[in-house]
Amino acid sequence: MTVRINPKAASTLCLLALLPWYPAMAADLDGVQALQGFKELIGYVGSPFLLGGAWVALKITLIAMSIGLVLGLGLALMRLSRFKTVNSAAWGYIWFVRGTPQLLQLVFIFDALPLIGLRFDEVTTAVVGFALNEAAFSAELFRAGILSVNRSQSTAAAALGMGPLLALRRIILPQSMRAVIPGLANDTIGMLKLTSIASVIFVNELTFRSQQVVGQNFKFFTVFGAAAVIYLFLTSAISLLQVWLERMFDHERDHKVSFSWFGLRASKSEARAADAPPDVKEPDVGNHAWISTLLPLESRTPRQPDEPFVACRNVWKSYGKREILRGVDLAIAHGEVVVILGPSGSGKSTLLKLINHLEPLDWGAIKVDSQYVGYREVPGGGGTVKPLHNLARARAEARVGMVFQHFNLFSHLSALDNIVEAQCQVYGVPRVEAQALGRELLKSVGLAAHADFLPHRLSGGQQQRVAIARALAIKPKLMLFDEPTSALDPELVGEVLGVMRGLADAGMTMIVVTHEIRFARDVADRVVFMDGGEVIEQGTPQQVIDNPAHERTRKFLNVVVNQT
Amino acid sequence: MFIPRAIKLLLCAITVLLFSQGASAQSCEPSKVAQKYPSLAGKTIKIGVDPESPPYAFRDSKDLNKIIGADADMARAVFDCAGVKTEFFTAGWPGLLPALRAGQIDVMWDLLYYTPERAKETSFLTYMQAGTGGLVAAGNPKKIDDISKLCGLTVTAGIGTVELTMAQDQSAKCKAANKPEVTIMTSADIASGARLVASKRADVMMYDLALVDGLAKQNPQLYSRGFMVTSGMKIGVGVKKGNADMIAAVSDGLKIMQANQTQKKTFLQYGVDPSLEMPTALLTQ
Repeated sequence: MTVRINPKAASTLCLLALLPWYPAMAADLDGVQALQGFKELIGYVGSPFLLGGAWVALKITLIAMSIGLVLGLGLALMRLSRFKTVNSAAWGYIWFVRGTPQLLQLVFIFDALPLIGLRFDEVTTAVVGFALNEAAFSAELFRAGILSVNRSQSTAAAALGMGPLLALRRIILPQSMRAVIPGLANDTIGMLKLTSIASVIFVNELTFRSQQVVGQNFKFFTVFGAAAVIYLFLTSAISLLQVWLERMFDHERDHKVSFSWFGLRASKSEARAADAPPDVKEPDVGNHAWISTLLPLESRTPRQPDEPFVACRNVWKSYGKREILRGVDLAIAHGEVVVILGPSGSGKSTLLKLINHLEPLDWGAIKVDSQYVGYREVPGGGGTVKPLHNLARARAEARVGMVFQHFNLFSHLSALDNIVEAQCQVYGVPRVEAQALGRELLKSVGLAAHADFLPHRLSGGQQQRVAIARALAIKPKLMLFDEPTSALDPELVGEVLGVMRGLADAGMTMIVVTHEIRFARDVADRVVFMDGGEVIEQGTPQQVIDNPAHERTRKFLNVVVNQT
Repeated sequence: MFIPRAIKLLLCAITVLLFSQGASAQSCEPSKVAQKYPSLAGKTIKIGVDPESPPYAFRDSKDLNKIIGADADMARAVFDCAGVKTEFFTAGWPGLLPALRAGQIDVMWDLLYYTPERAKETSFLTYMQAGTGGLVAAGNPKKIDDISKLCGLTVTAGIGTVELTMAQDQSAKCKAANKPEVTIMTSADIASGARLVASKRADVMMYDLALVDGLAKQNPQLYSRGFMVTSGMKIGVGVKKGNADMIAAVSDGLKIMQANQTQKKTFLQYGVDPSLEMPTALLTQ
């Protein structure tokens, strides 16, 4: 830890200290009188009467802020709800509380509520009044923070079987805090100072107490000056807390100066991650046979050999008026690797999202390992299904791993923590065990030395390999790949495909949406060509890629092959 | 002022005798609180004051946790006499009356002027008449020696006070006489009003006479009293309507304090003109 004084800031401080001298001179005070005044001011800063008032203000602020933040988070979630009534109720509350003067709210709670039998004492009234206000203001801050986090983060969390609340607590909120904290610090400081309006309802806080002292001795310069010093001291503490919290939630922390305040700058050598260059040499892992050792036993032994492992039956899906899937039937055997080809907009990605129920289907049914994922059959409904209430749990039980085009790694967690998260939070695996498996998986995708790196320090190919390791950590029976190499630079595609090849060799059941024709030809057991929401043709790679039966398939392959 | 102690005692004794014949309530009987004011027994009375109003209620410079003043001391004496405990509840003056109506405080005892409007919601036990003073800059450079000289000048008075109404009335009179109107600035508390005069933003601060005199006496280099008006307004203790025991306790206590000279002594102690005292009366409308 090194501490050095910034000369620029030090001179600013001196200037600030000189400022009070000016009015003192203007008021025709000579040096001795002014010095006397400062002595008096310092005396009032230490006055138990004024400090007692500061404690009242601080107490109200701390309690009201804590309650207000909890309520505010609730309101923010209500505002984000898709239920119209819930949403408008929250909107109405915020509209009313933000729109009416706080002084009137306080007087109303203190003086009008007793008429209906609700009598609060003055400090309780202030706490209630300020908490209700803060709820309205912080709700909008929280909402902004939550909206600032990319949607792909919650999609990835859902695919790992995390419920909405768990995803909010572990994934969304930690990432949104960076956007939320500066606003919350503003609110806290504002509230601390605004407690003075509560003097009208008998709260004897700092400003009111200093007014009373002035009312008795008329030394407003020294008394109010002392109150200002006390306020400044308290607000500085809040500002420091803000700095500390911002550091805690800064997910690019290896770039940051760790502590800087008022010219006093302390910095220390940062986490080990920053010391290591991002391109650490990893031993080349060409052999992926290890992956089979990670697969759960039951996924290698089909229990119902006569039934397909994944069965899509007459699946329909539309967004608004646009039909995406038009009666898709698809059966995939255990251990089979299926590559889905097709032009963009053909419904390939949507089909994947329906298989692990990231999106609800409109009609038809999908079974994975003879089970519906988050649906139950309507009794006597002739095979129609209804979504279950606890969708997250159904997803977790289905153990379907998913890899996304844009990786969707949790950007506030290190590579290892990305892999550990769902194991611990969803499947209740002890942390030590989860970390051991995580390290094993990272080693097998060739990233053992990158375990503690945050995603933004990794290349696209490395991120995608971590994403595959993350999906494997939940011991999936089925892996879905949604264009896993489309967002990668050409030279990075190979490393990801290598890992996928190893996985296929190990016997994992895989559905891969991709444009990599060579991968399809080399690895796939079967190629499915989709267009316009329908399966146009399917068969072995030799049949579909080399001798397509359909005109549309031929056209598509021409374009894709000529591009690559 | 130099009456021998014996005569003083005699006078007191005679007065006590005279009054005690008239009503049994005319002596302090703190132990009989349960019989005399049953609903107050065992209660701690919440006295509402704004401790920014010297010499009536303000913080003791020796112990800032203590509230003293002509009104504060009288309130303490009256409730000691009734045999109940007291606690001072402090708020900005505009918050006191609403709190009294809501029952958050039991009495408001802080330079509260009686008006028929206020009496609609609050019962008054008057104990003195009001005098209003005009606080001006030291030496009264603008020669403001009467309220009629305010035309065209700037006056400050507290929000919701009777002095504010007086200033507004005077402005109307100026207008009627084809003179420039009075510019009125409202102030949230006395100290800020006094600062307006000191900084020459206002020519006059209109407030209670004793307060104005006190300010002028303590800060002769800053302030003088320009004029005074005896408005005939009455000042009283505010009690929530229908609170019979409280009204009785305050009324009895005030009568005793007036009879035994406590009120006069208290007024003298804080520089309030004792001749402003007037016999206690209950005003309910």
